Amino acid sequence: MALSAKSAVSGCFIPLYVVCFLAFFSLSASAQKKAITGTVADSSGMPVIGATVREKGGKAVTTCSADGTFKLTVDEKNSLVISSVGFLTAEVPVGSKTTFAITLASNTSALNAVVVTALGVKREKRNLTFSSQQLNGEELLKTKEPNLVNTLAGKVPGIQITSSSGNAGASSRIVIRGNSSPTGENQALFVIDGVPVDNTETGNISGGAAGSGVNRIADIDPAIIENVNILKGAAATALYGSSGARGVVLITTKNGGVDKKPVFNFSSDASFEHPLLPERQNIYGQGTTGIFYNGEDADKKTSLSWGPLMDTLKVNGQPAPTYDPYDFFRTGITTNNTISASGSTNNSNYFLSYSYFNQKGVMPGNDFKRHSFFAKYNSKIGKYVSTTFQMGYNNSDQERLPEGASNGPLFVLLLQPVSWNPYPVLLPDGSQRGYRYSRNMPLWTLDNISNDSKVNRFLPVFTANITPTSWLTITERLGADIYTESDKYIEHPSPQIGLTGQIRNQNINFRQFNNDLIISATKTFGKFNVNLLVGNNIYTTYSQYMNINGTGLNINDFNNLSSGSTITGTESYTQLRKVGFYSQANIEYNRFLNLSLTGRYDGSSVLNPDKNFYPYGSAAASFIFSEFLGPKASNVINFGKVRLSYATVGNDGVGPYALSTPYVQAGRNTNAGFFQFPFQGQQGFLLTTALGNPTLINERLNEYEAGLEMRFLKDRISFEGSYFSRRSKSGLIPGSQIPPSTGFNSTTINSAEISNKGIELLLSATPVKTKDFSWNVTLNFSKIKNEVLSLAPGVDQLGRLIKGEPYNIFFGNRYKRADNGELLIDAGGLPVVDPQQGIVGDINPDWLAGMDNTFRYKQLSLSFFFDMKKGGDVQNDVESAGFYYGTAKVTATRGQMVVKGISEVDGKPNTVAVDAQTYYQTRQYESTIQDGTYIKLRNVSISYLLPASFVAKTPFKTASLAVAGRNLWIYSPHFTGADPEVSSYGTGNSSQGIYAFSTPTSRSINFSLKFSF
Amino acid sequence: MKKSFYILLLTGLCLQGCKKFLDINTDPNNPIDVQESLILAPAELNISDNIHGGNAGIIIQNYVQNIAANQLNPYVGSYQLFNIDMDGDWSNFYVTSLNNLITLNKKAEANNNWNYAAIAKILTAYTLGTATDFWGDIPYSKAFVSGVFTVPYDKQEDIYKSIQSLLTDAIANIDKNSSPKSPTGDDYFYNGNMNAWRKLAWSLKARYYIHLTKAPGYTAKVQAESAIAALKQGMTSNNDDLKFTYSGAAGSENIWYLTFTPVTTYVMNATLIDTLRNRNDPRLPKMIAPATATGLFTGRKIGTPTGDLAKYSYPAAFYGAKASSNYIFNYSEALFIQAEALLITSGYAAAQPVYVNAINSHLSKLGIDTASAAATAYVNRRKLTAGNALQLIMEEKAVANIFNFETYNDWRRTGFPKLQKVDGALIDIPRRLLYPQNEILTNAQPQQTAIQSTKVWWDN
Repeated sequence: MALSAKSAVSGCFIPLYVVCFLAFFSLSASAQKKAITGTVADSSGMPVIGATVREKGGKAVTTCSADGTFKLTVDEKNSLVISSVGFLTAEVPVGSKTTFAITLASNTSALNAVVVTALGVKREKRNLTFSSQQLNGEELLKTKEPNLVNTLAGKVPGIQITSSSGNAGASSRIVIRGNSSPTGENQALFVIDGVPVDNTETGNISGGAAGSGVNRIADIDPAIIENVNILKGAAATALYGSSGARGVVLITTKNGGVDKKPVFNFSSDASFEHPLLPERQNIYGQGTTGIFYNGEDADKKTSLSWGPLMDTLKVNGQPAPTYDPYDFFRTGITTNNTISASGSTNNSNYFLSYSYFNQKGVMPGNDFKRHSFFAKYNSKIGKYVSTTFQMGYNNSDQERLPEGASNGPLFVLLLQPVSWNPYPVLLPDGSQRGYRYSRNMPLWTLDNISNDSKVNRFLPVFTANITPTSWLTITERLGADIYTESDKYIEHPSPQIGLTGQIRNQNINFRQFNNDLIISATKTFGKFNVNLLVGNNIYTTYSQYMNINGTGLNINDFNNLSSGSTITGTESYTQLRKVGFYSQANIEYNRFLNLSLTGRYDGSSVLNPDKNFYPYGSAAASFIFSEFLGPKASNVINFGKVRLSYATVGNDGVGPYALSTPYVQAGRNTNAGFFQFPFQGQQGFLLTTALGNPTLINERLNEYEAGLEMRFLKDRISFEGSYFSRRSKSGLIPGSQIPPSTGFNSTTINSAEISNKGIELLLSATPVKTKDFSWNVTLNFSKIKNEVLSLAPGVDQLGRLIKGEPYNIFFGNRYKRADNGELLIDAGGLPVVDPQQGIVGDINPDWLAGMDNTFRYKQLSLSFFFDMKKGGDVQNDVESAGFYYGTAKVTATRGQMVVKGISEVDGKPNTVAVDAQTYYQTRQYESTIQDGTYIKLRNVSISYLLPASFVAKTPFKTASLAVAGRNLWIYSPHFTGADPEVSSYGTGNSSQGIYAFSTPTSRSINFSLKFSF
Repeated sequence: MKKSFYILLLTGLCLQGCKKFLDINTDPNNPIDVQESLILAPAELNISDNIHGGNAGIIIQNYVQNIAANQLNPYVGSYQLFNIDMDGDWSNFYVTSLNNLITLNKKAEANNNWNYAAIAKILTAYTLGTATDFWGDIPYSKAFVSGVFTVPYDKQEDIYKSIQSLLTDAIANIDKNSSPKSPTGDDYFYNGNMNAWRKLAWSLKARYYIHLTKAPGYTAKVQAESAIAALKQGMTSNNDDLKFTYSGAAGSENIWYLTFTPVTTYVMNATLIDTLRNRNDPRLPKMIAPATATGLFTGRKIGTPTGDLAKYSYPAAFYGAKASSNYIFNYSEALFIQAEALLITSGYAAAQPVYVNAINSHLSKLGIDTASAAATAYVNRRKLTAGNALQLIMEEKAVANIFNFETYNDWRRTGFPKLQKVDGALIDIPRRLLYPQNEILTNAQPQQTAIQSTKVWWDN
């Protein structure tokens, strides 16, 4: 890897045209009057690099150098106006002084807030030409979500977050402005302090525990975050190149302190979680057709709960007891302790943080532990150079059991008859005791199956800013994301279901390097403020997988590979490289007109080598019309801006090695597992099942966006709205199904088109604001309509993608209906199944909305947050299994039933009765689909900041207490599972919207204590 | 002028450097080419596991009532089948089997490794024959063409012609007696014994001739004569059986052992056990194991309430142990084909001695002394007459062909062995399998409208 970075630098340095525009900037000159010098510093005494110092009434203007000093020649009668991004503008009369020490106060007004945009460029929010929403770290911490992705849920219009399961450490998916890639990556790019970080879902072992792994952003401790900025549109992210096409989450970590004396912050959280479980019937016992099966005798075992009513059931003359299957779960306990220190010395400052997060999941056998260290050190070297070195180290450890309808506990547990006592776990002879055949029992799996994944991750970033003259900054930023992961899946032999046991070890080595060299020049010409930037980016990833599996275990409870009868191994690694050249121009005219142009030229190693470079760019403008309003109108509308942008972004959208059609090591796939060759002493290779496509070129995303931002009554009310229309073209579809008669199952096609159109609204208001009491409310709303416009020539359907339909529909068996939409019923009284499969649901919500309220009374604050999803279907596999097995809540109504519909026989309303068991056991796919509409009270939090007068008597500077509740109330009228927000099979595209046998999510209450000294 | 020249030069150098920097997209994990032996081994395993065994094979064993799942209806045993259920099978037939065998053949022909080319052709013919009997018209002559994603299907009659010509060519390849590289241990079936492969090729020819006794435009007599002629060079003993022997180690368990692990709930079918018991067939205890809980031979009747797995019978060790063999084409079948052909050409008396040999070949394979009283008495009880000859030949062929889908072909062709539709059947006994959903969605063809009652071309 070191080699590659070196060759990259020699091969791809900044083009010479940079020199040309640098020359253009050295043209200004000034008249001779009186020479002055000065320094500009912030309230902590740190220099404000690049602050503009302008002569009011004259023409002189300059910017501060890297040490915060400036020189200027001005007229004594005039005054100096000093401004900088993020600070209130100051005005100082020149008079007789020749040296000035100017302190700028930070601007806390939302309007002038500084936001971090692409590549770490800081800009005032008012000047942005695109939609961006910033959330501060405190706000995220308040949600008490351990996974950074989940802390964003419901807060930002246009983004959708989906959890995969309630497992401690489980992955979550984040999609900004709708799915635009058919099967490729749709999730947002995460960038920490300018460096992209990996958010792959890992922890899944081939052939190991089913269920979702951990999305790697979960390694990041939310406590080190200063703020998060969400860049949604292509115009905002174009500088990030292809990987930014799907939206960017920019994370800025906390900086060093300002005090010479170190400040220590300590916070401690404890939370208690209660599982949210699907509804079920618990009044009928095990059996079929009303006949009791006790689950003990060999011929009285069944998976069905179509037995007798528990109230009347007698066993050995005694009333039969009922056992709640859900007793299997436990109260989850999470603790999170963080300590940080920050401070500064003359030319440097530092921030250090350590946290330990420990979650004991609601499901036994599921834990997640995370140690996070973070250190950041800013220092000035000499006059022109300032540097930042930071290092994050995380150690995460997740233990879990298999999920889904696999050999793990959940399938059997959620369908467990209420008449069955799960204890004892073992029979006297030591074998597994179960109520049914063919499956492991939940309690047995706790002691015999485990999936452990341990990650050690390093995130170093080095940044150097060189400011040779006041208007020029050269930034060199090198960052890396390096982790090793070791996973181990253990499955003890289970003679009851004919499995001989296995141990699967997986080691992952991942390395990602990112280097940016950016030259940026800012200069003011009269009423123009111009920023030009050129840069180069080099990005490489390397990931290596080593797997060794032992099957047919010989030694009881000896969890080492050597226990296996057959041991096989595989090795694989992948490498990807990208190079990009970019430039940007931001031109501001007289504080009301902004123009922003970007261009980028990217090369990617994964595409056809003859066509692997592609250009793209964006153009955007904003107009601050409030500058032209009269004083009366300004009192009402204190800010108003319209903006318009167009962007086209290229994306490589496919993994490495999709161009070739190689042979792959063969394997044997049976119901006992997957076994790699060699087989019986012979090695074997077969042609890949995925046909390579050597002609792959980049896909493209084109987006128009228009927006309106307004602020009323001195910022008491603010509004931000955006409309966007994006269309992906030449969409890459890896794994696109092709007919087996071609000799292959899939290939990568390069021809899909998907459109997403939507609106995003954000309204915030402060209805009450007094010294002691305030009330803030924020509402957000988004609505996205998407459509698959085309797939491949002659192909109208690829799995869940159908031409002319929204992204990811549900397709399968359905019922035949009369013209008026009523069900057709056959002579036996059962609904008629349509021989033609069809569309039975759509996972896309009609709209999403959120409402956040904060009340503050003196030291006490209360906030609560609701969010809502309207529409969006869910495939509820727990319910459909519950129909068959007789555990679904609706099956509590039994006996004969007449299905409402039109008789196929005579065309009249159906009158033929059918037995409920027969009816439910023959339900088709269509009845699995439920409307996933919900309203959630996602978060309530009460906090109390101890009064200063009280704290003064303690060693502490500040202290606060808080209690927060999560998922306290969920209203989902059409959904019979527990949490309609879940997507059980992880963060992949094709598995979205399926609620299956995953670990339940939970309701929790959290207590936290924070103080600083 | 000079300045812009340098700019151009530097930009050029830079892009050239970047090109090189990005030139890393060569797959380090998977080879672009491999030798014949590496393809043959997994291709043969796939034939055993997924073409002969596998999902389609198990469905057929339900249809012919050799096995039953300890599950309530509806399931495949009561003829519930969806197009999507066939997706995996087509992937096994077309992607794993045919695409690799056709590639193997081309590679072997190019390298003059005629023995590999011959085996590839024979297994291609076998896979095609199995597929066309399941599905009728299927893709072949226009399939496997790079860049062509719409593949019209060949008529079943043309597939049959292709099978015969593949087998003819395979025999010619073997007869070249020239193969710089020749299979050994990579050939799990015959360990490189090309004489055995040659006999198999002729025996398969006979199978596919006899299938067409009722096909439109073909006569039973000509088909029978062709079969007899082919069998003259066909298999000559049980040692010639095409079988896959599993070591039984973890991951190398016999496919039929895996089919009967508790997780599948498959057990032996009452129809088979009752048939063997009613005939007082001495092979019953050799083929079927008594239920562990009762010691009795008890099969499960499809459509009845579920029962205790330990009270049902499983296959005996000969067929169902971890290290048993999977019998894909039996010498016994070759003899039964000959018996049927002689019945057609020369009458039941001519068929009788071959028919007895056929039964005896199976008895001795199971380790039963054909001279024993039980064996001779059985054979005498099952003598052919003018009236029952076809029925008895097919019934005995079905016993010898246990776990072989050929019984389903025979039933469709001759009506024997007689089958009653199961309790709770959704439809009459199917006459075919359905086309897979993945073909329907990505390669729409007129044949795909076939339903389970749609007969294939030769089924009359």
